[in-house]
Amino acid sequence: MAKAELKSKTKTEIEDSSSLKGTLASVFFVGFFIIVLWIGVYFLYLDRF
Amino acid sequence: MIKSPLKSKVDPRDGKLAMAHLYVAFIALLVGGLAGLLQVLVRSGKFQLPAGIGYYQILTVHGVVLGLVLTTFFIMGFQLSVVSKTAGTFTDKQRTVGWIGFWIMTIGTIAAAVMILLNKASVLYTFYAPLQAHFIFYLGLTLVVVGSWTVGAAIIMKYAEWRRANPGQQSPLLTFMALVNTLMWIVATIGVAATVLIQLLPWSLGWVDTVNVAVSRTLFWYFGHPLVYFWLLPAYMVWYAIIPKIIGGKIFSDSLARMSFILFLLFSIPVGFHHQLLEPGIDAAWKFLQVVLTFAVVIPSLMTAFSLFASFETFGRSKGAKGLFGWLKKLPWGDARFTVPFIGMVAFIPAGAGGIVNASHQMNQVIHNTIWVTGHFHLTVATAVVLTFFGAAFWLVPHLTGRKLTKKMNKLALIQGSLWAIGMTFMSGAMHAAGLLGAPRRSAFSDYGGSAQAAEWIPYQIAQAVGGSILFIAIILMLYIFINLAFFAPKGEQEFPVGEALHPEEKAPMVFENWKLWLGITVLLILFAYTIPFIDLIQNAPPGSKGFKLW
Repeated sequence: MAKAELKSKTKTEIEDSSSLKGTLASVFFVGFFIIVLWIGVYFLYLDRF
Repeated sequence: MIKSPLKSKVDPRDGKLAMAHLYVAFIALLVGGLAGLLQVLVRSGKFQLPAGIGYYQILTVHGVVLGLVLTTFFIMGFQLSVVSKTAGTFTDKQRTVGWIGFWIMTIGTIAAAVMILLNKASVLYTFYAPLQAHFIFYLGLTLVVVGSWTVGAAIIMKYAEWRRANPGQQSPLLTFMALVNTLMWIVATIGVAATVLIQLLPWSLGWVDTVNVAVSRTLFWYFGHPLVYFWLLPAYMVWYAIIPKIIGGKIFSDSLARMSFILFLLFSIPVGFHHQLLEPGIDAAWKFLQVVLTFAVVIPSLMTAFSLFASFETFGRSKGAKGLFGWLKKLPWGDARFTVPFIGMVAFIPAGAGGIVNASHQMNQVIHNTIWVTGHFHLTVATAVVLTFFGAAFWLVPHLTGRKLTKKMNKLALIQGSLWAIGMTFMSGAMHAAGLLGAPRRSAFSDYGGSAQAAEWIPYQIAQAVGGSILFIAIILMLYIFINLAFFAPKGEQEFPVGEALHPEEKAPMVFENWKLWLGITVLLILFAYTIPFIDLIQNAPPGSKGFKLW
């Protein structure tokens, strides 16, 4: 049991040091921002023209 | 293992040439910044220009001096520096070519500036016909373009020399990037050179009576959109290849950086119609095609965003950062060389998103010719690009003048960047909002006969004046820092940061250096996007227009 715990902890650390999950979250944020602004102006367009 | 050819210091002779460009750039910042301050004050409705100076005259000063002079001179100085640093010192012949280019550009700038200041050329930044300026204005701008080609020739000669000396090897990343930007600039400026030499000069000299307005606007925007990428790519050079070194990290991928620059070369140019979406005389199908190509040029920008985040996260995690965003805390926020360009990067998120709205064909009707567009390019060029240039100046100027960025100047630089961020949030934010409410761009203060809609814009115009005034303080601070770094900072060695790739063993494919291929595709795309529309515009042209001087 103790051995298994040790193993999983090491594994997490290795993953963490080369992980790009923050990058993934950041590019999703950029994409989300683009979509929200675009849809906002799109509805303004539908409303006016 | 091949030894890096990197020199520790840019040769002082090359440094002098680069600094000559930077002096002109920062003089332009003062003149253009002052004109910008006057503009926002006039538009607040609380201030009138003295001595009969016209609003459209200072608008022209602001646009031409900042959009064309500051940017072109800074970029040429910066690119000469990075090429000298990464591909080796220029030969005497190459440097002489660079100096000739510098003087042609400077003479052209002075000629154009004098005509604007004499109020003979208040044709706004885009010098749209049928507004007609004095012929010396057009001649001056032609010299600026020809001079920039000449400086570009020095860069091309250096690159060719490097390739001959290092057969079969990929060129240094920053030299490669400077070359791509130079090639893109040469292909793009053919458009503005054509409209000026074939149309505007003969017309302003009175040799011909009329001008084909639609053709001149189309040639202008053939040049006008790649122009914004010509501003942006040097900022991307700093983001891709220099910032990683400043933070102590690595370039995420050398190949990705090269590929994104090649994509910019291909897709920056055949997209000018997205500036003309509401213009008659161009078939909607061709506009749509160029809208699609515009969306293609979004891709390398998104690649850049990914690469930067990855570079930052990899660095943060190597320093033991945990969690989703722990790496952000590891970045050197106290270092203005990083933080000021970082503010620029953040500004590029709303800037790019706004650009996607602008280019979305029918949606362009919501924002066309409103001050939203002005707000948009004050985020792109006047924040993302300019703050990156300032961030580069903080190490480049002392490096070239043999001085050091002191702690005190670094602190002032951080204040400068923060003031810029605050001022621009007010000014650009208010411009975006007022634009959505219909406020026009390129127009002096007016209450439009007491119209209720125009009254809605006034509070936003006051906010623009507040933001613009804060920005002017930031400009003064920047000039103080520049003068300090150029003339008064303590002598010493300031590092010229050049990043290394995370995986240097991964070589970019040599096809990236095949210029016949890339220029060939560039030309094909341009011919595809523009040939038939130009035939239409010329064959089915309405009678030409005589010149107007409305100021």
